[in-house]
Parts: sequence; structure tokens; C-alpha cells
Amino acid sequence: MTIREAQAHAVAAVRRRNLSPRMSDWAVRLGSIAVVLLVWEFLAPGWNPLIIRPPSAIAVAFVDLLQTGELQTALATSLRAFIGGLAIAVVIGVFLGVVTGRWRTAFNAFDPLVSALYSVPSVALIPLIGFIFKFQGDAPRVAAVALFCVFPVLINTQQGVRNVDRGLLEVARAFNTSERRLWTDVILPSATPFVLAGIRLAIGRGLIGMIVAEFFIGLVGLGYLIIEYGNVFRIDRMFVPVIVVAAMGIVFIGVIQWLEGRVAPWLRREQ
Amino acid sequence: MTASVRISVEHVTKRFGSGTLTVFEGLDLAVRDGEALSILGPSGCGKTTLLRCMHGLAGIDDGRIVIDGVEVRGPSRKVAMVFQHFGLMPWKRVRENVAYGLELARVPRATIDERVERYINMVGLRGFERAYPYALSGGMQQRVGLARALAVEPDVLLMDEPFGSLDALTREVLQNELLRIYQERPRTMVFITHSIEEAIAVGDRVVVLSSRPARVREIVAVDIERPRTVASVIAHSRFVDLRDRCSRLVLDRPAA
Repeated sequence: MTIREAQAHAVAAVRRRNLSPRMSDWAVRLGSIAVVLLVWEFLAPGWNPLIIRPPSAIAVAFVDLLQTGELQTALATSLRAFIGGLAIAVVIGVFLGVVTGRWRTAFNAFDPLVSALYSVPSVALIPLIGFIFKFQGDAPRVAAVALFCVFPVLINTQQGVRNVDRGLLEVARAFNTSERRLWTDVILPSATPFVLAGIRLAIGRGLIGMIVAEFFIGLVGLGYLIIEYGNVFRIDRMFVPVIVVAAMGIVFIGVIQWLEGRVAPWLRREQ
Repeated sequence: MTASVRISVEHVTKRFGSGTLTVFEGLDLAVRDGEALSILGPSGCGKTTLLRCMHGLAGIDDGRIVIDGVEVRGPSRKVAMVFQHFGLMPWKRVRENVAYGLELARVPRATIDERVERYINMVGLRGFERAYPYALSGGMQQRVGLARALAVEPDVLLMDEPFGSLDALTREVLQNELLRIYQERPRTMVFITHSIEEAIAVGDRVVVLSSRPARVREIVAVDIERPRTVASVIAHSRFVDLRDRCSRLVLDRPAA
């Protein structure tokens, strides 16, 4: 291949990516949601309204809950616990992941603890967290979210640090790298996609932690709305916080994907 | 034969696996100043290991390797390496990859900018400074690897089967580029390959190693004048003779 051919080849590849069928992708995604909603809307009246309500009824309930302000208050409470817990988990998880991924002694020291804690279903520890934090304020729910989130971040970071390409480590050595530059040039960039994937997994688990903690510890937030309206068989209203939780997941994962494009632009080829 | 010796490999022994596998034993080799030395040998004979030892990336069990009068103990800034696997950082753009060695050497910013531009142009990558490696073909990636090594302006260039993973056409293009770059500024170069044609085309001498434990079977002087291109070497009247000789040595057959 001559240089000119290679250039043409590269340019064509870039064009293909830019003209990727984004529009039709979105049409299919939205269309699939629309079909589900339509089928639901038409089938719902045939069911017991104590179990299934149509999407239109849920939409009305959504507006109702906004007007009473219940939804905003609950969402704010839930978001505080979720963002706080996720942030703590990312800091702790990345730190421990890097340390245990790089140093054997640290790995041996932490691995049994991590494995043990990871094997226990995190839900089983929720009451304990409640007691530790005396069921007061946001703290126990923040801690619960952090507990649910920390392991995927930690384990992924650890894997990322350990999976550094040996060839690149040798290149760095061949060019006489310092330990500090080895981290900034090779280890951290190569671990970044693993860390972000860990955070993506953590978001899903963290939402579970948030809701469960609200069921058992706080009786506040979106989790409490679900319990409150479930208990009085207001299925239409009960669905509203469920949908909001789903939306939270979508938004946060979208933020992480956007971040991925910003901090790891070399990964765009995968998409 | 008066040229001074730049790299001297003296009675070097290298073993793997707690001494059970001997890669080479008592190996002697001298690389002259400014020469392009090809090292040719069957797969798995320890060519790459020898090169890594020369750069201090791997330790040796006996003997010593001396570059410019200094015994090799670890990678030196006077020596740069080009890798078979290219070894580009996927998260660095072309210009950052080329600047890598210079940054580590704490060269002033202005010098880095000037050298990066010069060597990117030299390997024919002008216009690709801001591209990430994934957007480049294998041949272009290795041009980056070559520019990165040249940019530190090393006294010695170590090349570990640099074109081994490229397709035949790209390989010949890059061999010609290397010959041109060498012609512009000859510098001591050790070139590992398992291609006989490539060894002859690139080298002033071809060291033929035996299979493990590797020893120097013979050193073949390539009496083909420079400037060369791959085509001019293959068309040269000496080529067939040289190739047959190397081939016999590599394949372990007695001379006809």
C-alpha cells in the first residue's frame, strides 16, 4: 500500500464512522418502545386494575405527583444518596483497585476480605448499615449505595491495572521511563476503560442499593414512594418512581458513556 | 576493517527457566560503528532475546555487553528500539507517540516540537500528526514506531523484526524507507529478521545464528554498494550467491 492509498483508506474509514446509521438506530430504538407502550395501553383494560394500569394512567399519576411535589422531594433525597454513595465508591474502588492491582502484598492483604464481602449478598448487610449509622439522615443510605457500588469498580480497576499490555511496559522501559511517567503514560490510560466499565456496572447495582436502603432504612425517597403507593394499591402512582429509577439508570450510564468519549477518545473505534 | 567497534558482545550466556534452557552460550559479536548489521536465524533461536540483552531489557547470566566502552546494565538513552509489535500507545496521537522518548529524556519543548515534526516528515506521516494509532494501517503504525526511535537521535538503533508482521508489499515499501533513512544519516543499526532477502537488503553484514543454543554460524559480508533499494539489491549480480549462502547456513546444509 502506498502512502496515498493508505491516506485515502484512512479518510474513507473516518467518513464511514461519521455517516454511521445513527438516525435509523434511533428510529428502531424509539419504535420498539412505542410498540411496547401501545400494546400495553390496549391490553391493560382487560386486566385487573389493581395489578396493571395503562401507560396513560401512569402519565396522569406522574403529573399528579409532580403537582403535589412528592416526586421532586423523593427524587432529590434519592439522588443525594445515590450520587454521594457512587462518588465514595469510585474513590475507594479506584484507589484500592490500583493499589491491589499493582502490588502483590496489597492484593494478598485485601483479596480475602474483598472476596468474602463480595460473596455476601449486599442486601444482607443493609440492616447492619442501618444500625451502624443509627438510621439517621442520609448517611446510612449513602453507605448502602457505596457498598453496592464499590466492588465492580474495585475489581474492574484491579483487572485494568493488571491487564496492562506487557509489550507497552517493555516499550516504556526501553525508553527509560520513570515510575511516575509509567503510571501516567501506560498504566492509568490502559486501566481507564476498565474503570469506566466498572462504574457502569456500579450504577445498576447502586440503584438497587438505593431502593433497598429506602425500603429498610429511611422510608424516604423513591423507594418509599413505591412502598407507600403499593400498600394502598395505587399501581398507577407506584409505577411513577419505578420509571424514574429506570430513567436515572439511563441518564447516569449515558453520562459515563459521554465521559468515556471525552477521556478515552481512542475507544470510539469500538462503537 | 578499521572502523571502531560500537557494540561488543563478549562471551555472553543467557539461560531461561532457572538455567534449564540455554538460549546462547559464550556468544561473541562485534557491531562496528555506523554499520547496519543484520542478524538472521531460525525462529526461536534467541535473536530477539539477544537484542533485548543488548538494550539491557533482559539480564545476562555470564559475559558482558559493552556499548561505547560502557557495560550495559539497563536501557540507555543512546540506544533506541523499534518493536515487532509496534508498541504504540493507543491513547496517544501520532505526534505524542513520536514525542514519547524525547519527553522522557526531558528534552526542551521547542526541541521536541522541531524533532517530532522533522521525523514525522521523514517517515512520510505529515498530515497524520493528530491521528490515533487505530486509524492507521500496520505499515503506518510502524512508521510511527520508527519515527519515535529516530526522534531521540540515538547512536544505536535496535530493530526487532520491525516489518515482520506486515504484508509483503507494505514491508518492501518500509524496507526502502529504512534504506533511504539510513542513507541520509548512517547510524549503527542492529536489524533482527528471519527473512534472508531482508537481511541482505538492509545489512552491511549478515550474522547467521544457529538454532538454540545460538552461536554465530558465520558472518556474511554483503558486498552490494549503497545507495540501495530492495529492487536494486535483488537485481544485483551478487544477490543470488549471497542468498544461497545465507540460506544454506540457516537451513544447516553443508556448502555445495
